[in-house]
Amino acid sequence: MAASKFQAFWNHPAGPNTIHFWAPLFKWGITIANLADLSKPPEEISYPQQSALTINGLIWARYSSVITPKNWTLLSSSLGMASICTYQLARKLEHEFSSKYEADAIE
Amino acid sequence: MASFRAFLNSPVGPKTTHFWGPVANWGFVVAGLVDMQKPPEMISGNMTAAMCIYSALFMRFAWMVQPRNYLLLACHASNESVQLYQLSRWATAQGYLSQKKDKASSQ
Repeated sequence: MAASKFQAFWNHPAGPNTIHFWAPLFKWGITIANLADLSKPPEEISYPQQSALTINGLIWARYSSVITPKNWTLLSSSLGMASICTYQLARKLEHEFSSKYEADAIE
Repeated sequence: MASFRAFLNSPVGPKTTHFWGPVANWGFVVAGLVDMQKPPEMISGNMTAAMCIYSALFMRFAWMVQPRNYLLLACHASNESVQLYQLSRWATAQGYLSQKKDKASSQ
């Protein structure tokens, strides 16, 4: 019984033999790369890249929930990406504003 | 004018998420182009490598999806080029692509 369920999954038209499975799954790779970058200094965060990916994640989260069939992998990976990119933007903004305050205080 | 109105009201037009999803993808292409002007020290190797794999997978996805999505294919092909270029800039700055220099210094 387990074998036939596995076979049903394996041979599914959007299963692991197809790009329809791996492409949305790999979108998590961007989130993971960004998580790895949490240890980097905020000066190296790119405003254009992180904002573009945040907006992209939010729009695709909406998109994947209204298409037929709903694509839960794309939904989850888009939301994950939007969250981590928002956090990176917050890190950079906080760094920029706190540095400005320190520079003003010194003067 | 009539065809423009038909486009505005179409089921995959700008009033729907089906339009803004693929459009949002161009956001990170533009972000990549903007980031090409920055010094290579600011490039994140993690994110750029992840983007290269991501766009390669989604080029295949756009080709295989029914109906074939040429706009998505063009978007990811552009992103692939930009991210590969950024990756080469990053690798050069890190010293990974300096074989010629090493050969010259060893002679």
